[in-house]
Amino acid sequence: MSGEEALVVKDLCCGYDGTIVIRGISFQVERGEFVGIVGPNGCGKTTLLKALIGLIVPTHGSIDVYGKKLKELPRKDISRMIALVPQMMEPVKGFTVSEMILLGRTPYFERFSFETEDDHAVKRWVIAELKMEEMADTPVSNLSGGEFQRVAIARALAQEPRLMLLDEPISHLDIRYQVKILKLLRKIRQSRTVIATFHDLNMASRFCQRLILMKNGEVIASGRPDEVLSRENIWKAYRIKAEVKTNPKTKHARLVLLP
Amino acid sequence: MKNKKKTLIYLIGILALVSLISLFVGSVWVAPTELSGNTIIWQIRLPRVVLSALCGVLLATSGVILQGILRNPLADPYILGVSSGAGIGAAIALSLPFSMVILGISSIPLFAFVFALASVFVVYRLSYVKGRSAPETLILAGVAVASFASAILSLIIIVSGRLQAIYFWLLGSFSLSSWGDVWNLLPYGLVGIVISYFYSKELNALLLGEEIALTLGVEVEKIRVRLILVASLMTAAAVSVSGLIGFVGLIIPHFVRLLIGPNHRMLIPYSALGGAILLVAADTLARTLFSPMEVPIGVIMSLVGAPFFLYILRTRAGK
Repeated sequence: MSGEEALVVKDLCCGYDGTIVIRGISFQVERGEFVGIVGPNGCGKTTLLKALIGLIVPTHGSIDVYGKKLKELPRKDISRMIALVPQMMEPVKGFTVSEMILLGRTPYFERFSFETEDDHAVKRWVIAELKMEEMADTPVSNLSGGEFQRVAIARALAQEPRLMLLDEPISHLDIRYQVKILKLLRKIRQSRTVIATFHDLNMASRFCQRLILMKNGEVIASGRPDEVLSRENIWKAYRIKAEVKTNPKTKHARLVLLP
Repeated sequence: MKNKKKTLIYLIGILALVSLISLFVGSVWVAPTELSGNTIIWQIRLPRVVLSALCGVLLATSGVILQGILRNPLADPYILGVSSGAGIGAAIALSLPFSMVILGISSIPLFAFVFALASVFVVYRLSYVKGRSAPETLILAGVAVASFASAILSLIIIVSGRLQAIYFWLLGSFSLSSWGDVWNLLPYGLVGIVISYFYSKELNALLLGEEIALTLGVEVEKIRVRLILVASLMTAAAVSVSGLIGFVGLIIPHFVRLLIGPNHRMLIPYSALGGAILLVAADTLARTLFSPMEVPIGVIMSLVGAPFFLYILRTRAGK
């Protein structure tokens, strides 16, 4: 181990109430990588993310984050290192964008004090970084799905995490916001590590540096998008016949479904 | 922000006004010129106003933190059976042939606290399904425990032979308020509201849901237990001096949320203020509506509160 890995997962098994969902997964993620986790519904993508942030305790195996054992870290320390953007986050009625982002500073609040000037500075930095100045005082319940997803990411970014996890960040967005969010994640990964789950294989291929393809709680392929998105792998994971072409302009692998 | 400051000033103004009115009206009208040395004002009405305000603070604050920690806008110490539990404790203490003082604290709030905790513990345990507490089950469990507790209460009342005293206390009333009660209650009020206030950041994180709160470093289970303890303590303290007064913890946080939003940093102090206004006003009505007869304030609050509960239930179901 060179110490350069953001994440080292070894033989991970976990699940809920005795049902095993993740069955012995091992992989590594380098610092500054943008990794996409793909696979059919129910393959364990969400469960894996929850395990990576300590919401689910592994029954077997280990997770090391930036050289530290996840299970030995107190909640507060985890929350300063890893942030999660869940699949569905409900907008808090009555909160503005700016108040919502400030909630991301909770890990840094002390018992007998509230947000400091530092926390406000980080909030302003996040707002500037995501170009949200104009919507800072808008109530979150007035936002469209795509705008709210950006706020959800901003809130996670305010945690100043070294590792950011996102559960299907583009699934319910139109194509304009899909690209907007993915470009944002590509920018974020310049200073931190990003792991996100996707359903759209072409989008994942276009923006991620590496893909991990899962099925039934196991990794069936891992590597560069053009390595993972092969005809055989797609058949193995989804039982779908597809041809893999190369985007002539960007040289990214892209799927074409066969009849 | 400006708006919120304005709201605060208005609330303080209303509280002052309601308290003043409450001081001067009643079965005996006192003119503002007859203030000095007036026993009715200084020894009867003022402690009564202060006490009802304090109880309002306690009940409204415990409503806010119960709603926040259980993520359920219908949570209220009365509905969750905390009040009835406290009632059993206080009734037992009241029906003892001797009054006990333990470590300088009157036994009534102590008994009330122990039984409030017992009933909240039962409700919490009952509502725990598959490792988490479901809001719907929680309310149902609360209703069941509350009616069980009121049956026990009736038994105690009958067996104790002090039917009238306990029964009237139970209906909720400030008619026997004294400065002694105020001093007994004040520490609970101060401690409760200060602790709640410093947990407002965790309560805010919980607005995003339990899982996200966990990822923000909030130890949800631990904090839930602590805040339920604090809420039970505040409720027990209020019940032990005033009997069962329902729905304050439901109505006030609901309105304050409409006024200033869900941020607990503001919600807690503003609700405390709102609770004080509501109970001082309700107590004034209780004294004057059928003067010289007094209506128990608990009766007034239930007359207003129960329909309000149904209203929230309906608007929630509509979503």
